[in-house]
Amino acid sequence: MKKYLQLILCMVILFAGRLTYAQTPSDAIMMKKKEICFAFMYDQGTWDEYWEGTNLITNENIGTFTRSTYMPMIAYGITNNLNVLLSTPYVSTKSDGGQLAGAQGFQDVNVTVKYEAIKKDFGKHRVSALGVAQFGTPMSNYLSDYMPYSLGLGTQELTVRAIGQYEFNKLIYLRASAAYVWRGQTEVERPYYYNNGSYYTTYMDVPNAVNYQVILGGWLFKHSLRMEASYNIMNSVEGDDIRRWNMPQPTNKMEATQVGFFAQYYFTSIKPLKGFSLMASYSQVLEGRNMGKATNFGGGITYQFTF
Amino acid sequence: MKKIIAFSISLALIIGSVTSCENELPTYFNYSAYEFSDLDIDGGNWQPILFPSSTDIVIDAPAAVNSAEYQAELAELKSSAQNLSGSQVEAVEYWTNNPLIRWNEIALELAAKYNLIPPPNPDGTYTLPSAANPAGPPPFPFAHPPYTSRMLAYLSVAQFDGLITAWHYKYEYDRPAPYETDASIPYAYKKNSLPSYPSDGAVIAIVSRDILKAMFPLEHDYLNARAEEHLNSLTWSGSNTTSDIEAGKAIGTAVKTAALARASADKMSSAQAPKPVSDAIKQSAINRFGWWWDNQESPVRPVGLTPLFGQVTMWNVPNVVDVRPGPPPAPGSAEFEKDAQELKDIAKNLTKDQRKIANWWSDGLGTYTPPGHWNRRAKEYIIKYEMNPLRAARTFAYLNMAVMDAGIACWDAKYYYHFPRPIQTMVGFKTILGTPNFPSYTSGHSTFSGAAAEVLAYIFPSEAQVVRDWAIEAAESRIYGGIHYRFDSEVGLETGRAVAAYTIARAEADGAD
Repeated sequence: MKKYLQLILCMVILFAGRLTYAQTPSDAIMMKKKEICFAFMYDQGTWDEYWEGTNLITNENIGTFTRSTYMPMIAYGITNNLNVLLSTPYVSTKSDGGQLAGAQGFQDVNVTVKYEAIKKDFGKHRVSALGVAQFGTPMSNYLSDYMPYSLGLGTQELTVRAIGQYEFNKLIYLRASAAYVWRGQTEVERPYYYNNGSYYTTYMDVPNAVNYQVILGGWLFKHSLRMEASYNIMNSVEGDDIRRWNMPQPTNKMEATQVGFFAQYYFTSIKPLKGFSLMASYSQVLEGRNMGKATNFGGGITYQFTF
Repeated sequence: MKKIIAFSISLALIIGSVTSCENELPTYFNYSAYEFSDLDIDGGNWQPILFPSSTDIVIDAPAAVNSAEYQAELAELKSSAQNLSGSQVEAVEYWTNNPLIRWNEIALELAAKYNLIPPPNPDGTYTLPSAANPAGPPPFPFAHPPYTSRMLAYLSVAQFDGLITAWHYKYEYDRPAPYETDASIPYAYKKNSLPSYPSDGAVIAIVSRDILKAMFPLEHDYLNARAEEHLNSLTWSGSNTTSDIEAGKAIGTAVKTAALARASADKMSSAQAPKPVSDAIKQSAINRFGWWWDNQESPVRPVGLTPLFGQVTMWNVPNVVDVRPGPPPAPGSAEFEKDAQELKDIAKNLTKDQRKIANWWSDGLGTYTPPGHWNRRAKEYIIKYEMNPLRAARTFAYLNMAVMDAGIACWDAKYYYHFPRPIQTMVGFKTILGTPNFPSYTSGHSTFSGAAAEVLAYIFPSEAQVVRDWAIEAAESRIYGGIHYRFDSEVGLETGRAVAAYTIARAEADGAD
């Protein structure tokens, strides 16, 4: 049982990493001391409509846009209630309309520290609370100012998250989390840009953001299959809108409200595959601002053992 | 507990590192009032652009310094310039004693604001901006590079002529600055011996406001407010009395009237040709050369950008054909294939430096355009070399006349040769910059930059190498961006230089050197 939970940690972290602007571990599970987990996940997001400000439009010069993310990750239990995680996604972008070239490369490296503050059982009821801090910084000098094709926002990012979870009988759980994302500046390659006025600089302020998540999850088939439904809001707290028929830029106020489903199967009864799991995910952006109305599909594999 | 404290401290440090090492993000050029390197006391004898001479606008002599009328003005000025509020001090510091710089920045900002290409309608058609219905949608204008080059040329020429006239009467009537007559009047800037009547600041405020209002009809409220603050700053800074300002306004109004009269007849209003005319231009190229350019966007834009901008009245080139380059190499020829292959090779192995150069000079949609980029560099040199407003206006005027003429020459070549872009001749070719909606040959950036660099090299000889290298880099940037062949850029640079030679010949004869 514990083992599964430890594996889940990896899964959920990878799953959360799907949003390019929110590689945020947001589950309520801890790995034990000296346990280690390797994971690899692939995710593909596509859209053929995007919000220009709050106005949903199509653009045949983009057509269908595709963002592929390949994310390796490693997680380690420093103590039973303090875990550290490291991940770095490789991103590739393209579109089937227009003539603009796609981009590919390693995006940001993210280090996450997770602390379990409370875990209390009351008979069949378990309540836990955690705090998570994640720091991310670009791996290379990819160009953030090439949206929507850019690999990421090209800025340092610090996320601080609080998580609360209630679990009944180790079968069903409800989790909520709230995070604030501080973002710094991104250096671009043009000496001037317009952001409701002139900016004579190669730096852009990337707006901070808030993230709220609610997840309802449960276990099936003797704890070998886990399923989750999620509702996720990620909103910039400020920023400008994409101007009419213009390119987006990192200063934009980006918002997304997304629903998702996630399933994970653990090879518990097949000896040679013990420690492995497979997972699949789907999500859909419902509402947004200055972003694509993306549909994402993902899959991944994890392997976990004691160091 | 210790762990929690340590964790909190490290967290605070990281938040600090993410948010506190941030760079200043300047929204205008950071300079203060400065001492002019020269006052150009003979500037009133320079040759204006729009007027036969500096005396065509008549300004009456001011009241005598010891008159009751002027003494009352001084008393009024003294009280206005004292006990300024915080926002008044800010305005004085912002406008400085060379407010030409600020109006140039306002012009660039409006160019960036309006440099948005009209979007397609739901049925796949396009509605073009219309001066008759500026609110649109789409709003008028679309401040693309030709539009912006012309806007800046009229702005700068009118400022220049207005200041020549102001300089003429300043030294003819020789009214000392208010603080020289009454030493108790505070003066916010650097003292000098420039006479105060008529106010050069008021000339700049009125000319700039009114030219920009004509160019950006949706910005009247904004421009009125900027001009009002500027005019007030002349009082708050202790620079000018009411009669100084009124005389400056009179010059400004006369000059802008002449400038806008020229603008209304320069054929810009017909530059965005209708489709039948555009189709005929394309057919001429097919007949002459056998090739043609087509817009590659979806939905296809039925007409390229300003096909008849090449027919707009030039400032200093007698006839656009005088600077029309020879034809480009035909698609399929060895010479063409060499430059086409270069684009494929660059796209395959683009270096970080090449990418940066492409983006640095891109100045595309939503920005101040290449003419704006060169104005920005001129502005920085004007401050570096501590030019007075008249000398600064001369720099902008010749720069922007050359840049607009370069645009006209380039557009003439673009639509005469109607040469296809790389994305049209090379199927499946991908670029890192968007391909503009007009033919390839010659490169607009290269032509603008070739002309701009030559004028700046003439005015700032010690920067000649730097600005010429920039022009070459700007021309090269379009090749790295994948949107121009090398021959587009190289020939564009040459055309720009040829255009600038006409501009510089005129400048050399205007009495300022």
